[in-house]
Amino acid sequence: MPLHDESLPKNTLAYFFREATRRMWVSKRTSFVAVAMIAISLFIVGAFLLVAENLGRAVARAGGTSRVNIYLNTDATPQQIAAVDAWLTAHHDFAARQFVSKEVALARFRQYFANLSGVVGQLDENPFPASFECEVTPGLAQSAAFARQAAELRGLNGVEEVQFDWEWVEKLKKLINLVNLAGLVAGGLLAVAAAFTIANVIRLTMLLYREEIDIMRLVGATERMIRGPFLIEGILQGFIGAVLAVTLLFAAFFSGRHFLAPQNSLLWGFLFNGFLPWQKLLALLAGGMLAGYLGSWLSVRESGEEKA
Amino acid sequence: MIHFYHVTKRFDAYSTALHDVTFHIEKGEFVFLTGASGAGKSTLLKLILRQMQPTEGQVVVNGRNLKSMRRSQLPFFRREIGMVFQDFKLIERMTVFENLSFILTVLGLPAREHKKRAYAALRAVSLHHKLNSYPLQLSGGEQQRIAIARALINDPLVIVADEPTGNLDPDLTQEIVQIFAEANLRGSTVLIATHDRELIEQSGRRVITLDHGRITDEKVAVPQRAARAESIFGIGG
Repeated sequence: MPLHDESLPKNTLAYFFREATRRMWVSKRTSFVAVAMIAISLFIVGAFLLVAENLGRAVARAGGTSRVNIYLNTDATPQQIAAVDAWLTAHHDFAARQFVSKEVALARFRQYFANLSGVVGQLDENPFPASFECEVTPGLAQSAAFARQAAELRGLNGVEEVQFDWEWVEKLKKLINLVNLAGLVAGGLLAVAAAFTIANVIRLTMLLYREEIDIMRLVGATERMIRGPFLIEGILQGFIGAVLAVTLLFAAFFSGRHFLAPQNSLLWGFLFNGFLPWQKLLALLAGGMLAGYLGSWLSVRESGEEKA
Repeated sequence: MIHFYHVTKRFDAYSTALHDVTFHIEKGEFVFLTGASGAGKSTLLKLILRQMQPTEGQVVVNGRNLKSMRRSQLPFFRREIGMVFQDFKLIERMTVFENLSFILTVLGLPAREHKKRAYAALRAVSLHHKLNSYPLQLSGGEQQRIAIARALINDPLVIVADEPTGNLDPDLTQEIVQIFAEANLRGSTVLIATHDRELIEQSGRRVITLDHGRITDEKVAVPQRAARAESIFGIGG
């Protein structure tokens, strides 16, 4: 018999899974702690990803066109409004436009922020200004020539403010990056903690099975054969934790959409637009399994080999 | 097959288990190792299985110098040796079948072979009806026989047994020694450590005697009751 054949025998993977699941069942409580740690970590990562994903969708929707909002003074006269309209007609870049009256602006607010509509109703007069909403080509809208025209527009009588939506799109993009980063940092730290929890759980299991491991070595089991079930145990704990996290996230998302989105506010509409795409769900599952693998790898590596 | 060259094993400055031990067991031999408690028998067997390394000297088993053997080769080397431990070393949470099946998994035998082989090994020690029992549900003697079945399941090149009949009554002792003799006939080299002087004397086999870590005697036992010995060892050589 050759003494260098390191390949694993057939049936080994089945044996690894059988042993790993059995050991997890025997140490239910400690395994649960490890699974819960992974689930909490990945739930937090997933929640951040979900927020970023939905904000990203909002940005993507706005990305096709750029909008310029020209807010008029609340006391702008019909003549001033007509003069602004004439100016816009004369400048082709601003030609695609829509006039939003004070009444329409108020109606929109009531629609988007239903729970605040009562507050507005208590006011003596409509606080929302009339405005022109102009659709402009994104590339052109960010040119120097366009900026000069916008400055000219600001100088017209009756114009209170000129806002470009690509400004908030840029801000939103920065926010998305921040949310992603925060999610990765917080989730990463928690995942490391979860990996260490798994490492400790596996270490405890290995202590529990120390005598058995010695026997396995004496009858000719390789280190791979001995360590395999522990590695699989870690990966399984990570996988179960990740599945739990995704399930909780899914439940939280659809509960939120069911209970919060009907209020039809702009914010909730943004946040509950859609769930995570399958690629990110797979990444969460893979992350859980990786954390589990690293945790168990740490403990089996530390457990060392036979001293002889 | 098993060669000890000036082997000394010291645990510390005041405790030396083996002193300059040299002996040779050739392929196909059946040898008894005897001596009082603390003579160094178990240490010697542990050196053969490379559970420990000698402080001085060389141990060569099946042509392999155990001192220079890489750790990664150790499992494959051990698969060539069927070891019967004094404390059985059965895995308590596994059934008898699982204890035997584990060895076959390690060896890479397909699952469909496991039951057949395990049953045959258990039948040889008359415990085939205990396939689904757990070790702690068995008597000491039964556990001993399961450990023997496990050691033999693989038809190993070398069988090393530490007090394999220590928990058995005389009839079972005969049965077990017969099993070892049959394995020896199939080509396995057998080394049995035992206190049982009657067993040794009736065997007609070579005996190595240890005393305080030194070999004090090495001879072929002369059967006192040839008829009984023949009934036990009649087929071995």
